[in-house]
Amino acid sequence: MLRVRDLVGGYGDFIVLHNITIEVNPGQTVIVVGPNGAGKTTLLKHIAGLLKPKKGIIEFNGQRIDSCSPYKISELGIAFVPEGGRLFPYLSVYENLKVGSYPKHARRTFSEAVEEVFELFPVLKDRRNQLAGSLSGGERQMLAIARSLMAQPKLIMLDEPSLGLAPKIVARVFEFIKEIGTKGYSILMVEQNAKKALQLAEYAYLLESGEITFEGVRDEFLQNPYIKKAYLGI
Amino acid sequence: MVEQVLNAAVNGLLLGGVLALLAFGLNLIFGVVKIIHMAYGQFVMLGFYLIYALTVQLHVPLLISCIIAVAAMGALGVVTQYLLIDPLLNAPRLNQLLALAGLIIIFENLAMVIWGADYRGIPIHFPILNFGSLYLRSSCLFAFFGALATLALLYVFLHKTYLGLAIRAVAQDAEVAQTMGINSRTIYFVTMGAGGALTGIVAAFFTPIYTVHPHFGSSFTIMAFIIVVLGGMGNLLGGFISAFIIGIVTSISAVLTTTEIADIIALLIFVLVMLVRPQGILGTRVA
Repeated sequence: MLRVRDLVGGYGDFIVLHNITIEVNPGQTVIVVGPNGAGKTTLLKHIAGLLKPKKGIIEFNGQRIDSCSPYKISELGIAFVPEGGRLFPYLSVYENLKVGSYPKHARRTFSEAVEEVFELFPVLKDRRNQLAGSLSGGERQMLAIARSLMAQPKLIMLDEPSLGLAPKIVARVFEFIKEIGTKGYSILMVEQNAKKALQLAEYAYLLESGEITFEGVRDEFLQNPYIKKAYLGI
Repeated sequence: MVEQVLNAAVNGLLLGGVLALLAFGLNLIFGVVKIIHMAYGQFVMLGFYLIYALTVQLHVPLLISCIIAVAAMGALGVVTQYLLIDPLLNAPRLNQLLALAGLIIIFENLAMVIWGADYRGIPIHFPILNFGSLYLRSSCLFAFFGALATLALLYVFLHKTYLGLAIRAVAQDAEVAQTMGINSRTIYFVTMGAGGALTGIVAAFFTPIYTVHPHFGSSFTIMAFIIVVLGGMGNLLGGFISAFIIGIVTSISAVLTTTEIADIIALLIFVLVMLVRPQGILGTRVA
């Protein structure tokens, strides 16, 4: 479904990613772990169209998207949940969800989709008219993920959903992500919190200093001695 | 004396309504496109001249002229975005300001060349209404309610339509809005078009009240900017409130003293508010 091949990219002349090759198959949950500054956010930004690669190609369902505008990529079915959620602070919970349904094909299903979200998250329903900037960290992350679902995406990209959240809340957020995965969405998630994130992974990549240094199915990851020591604290 | 002040207060209130429209347009453009439209007053001037040319020189009925002017100014806004602002979106802020300031010179001199320096007016007569000791120009009354109706329509548009929602989203976070399927570039065009159309509407309301000349825009630009900054730049409600404050204060001061001193008082209030609360009445502090 998503193919990134030999991607070289960064910010202007400052190259962050060196020959990145990753793949997400339909319905798969793929996790990219790595330390701070490894380039995880940069990778997702390239796929979302916010940055243009210097070299390499990005393909979605067989179509080249590395030169497309972000809004086109969103219409093709890739949703992006940035770090911290990045909700629209002066729009209400309800309005944030509504923006998520902006693509024409998503507007028809908006009312049902909103009801589903409110059923899953009664707390968001209670706060439906509250400004998004006034929600707690966990609520914001939930809203951001729910917002991304409004567009009826095929692939959901999550940038460090656990960042800044208390462990109990992180567990809930990851539970939710796992549920989304079982519903059939393809998920590409980047995370610093390798231990928790790898529980969700079907396939995983290790990104260090802009390079993929290891990849494999979940058990391969969990059993690799270097990863166990450096990222799982075992 | 009390009657005079009361009259001035009410007339200032009425004027405030139209100023609120101007402030809305400026705030919308600043909030969304993140640009200070230096030539906004000149847009109003051009709209006025257009209505004059159509009505007086080409004998088109006034209402039709106004409608054409609103559409034409909207188109001018889109053209300005296309030729001037879009190419400069990623340029240093100063370049954008200078380019728009350049428009001021172009428009004013264009008006001078085409229509000359004389004051031009449209000969329409609205009656003066009498309510007890209150004397109101019905043209001002009409402008006031027209402005409020326009603002109400704009509010509905921004809050009840997908396009309006997209505009508000882009104003808050253009990058994330793009990832939700919103083409920010299109939104900028729509915003500049709407802002332009607003100047046409303001010009239409001004036709029975003022006469136009090539420097008509300048007198309003300063007032409009004071209102916008006083209310908090980019804040639509703030602009609305401060438009009425400035309208009433200048009107009362003009009656109690002179027009010049009224302007001084308005500016003094502005300076005082800036000293105490630099972000404006409803503005947010940028850390």
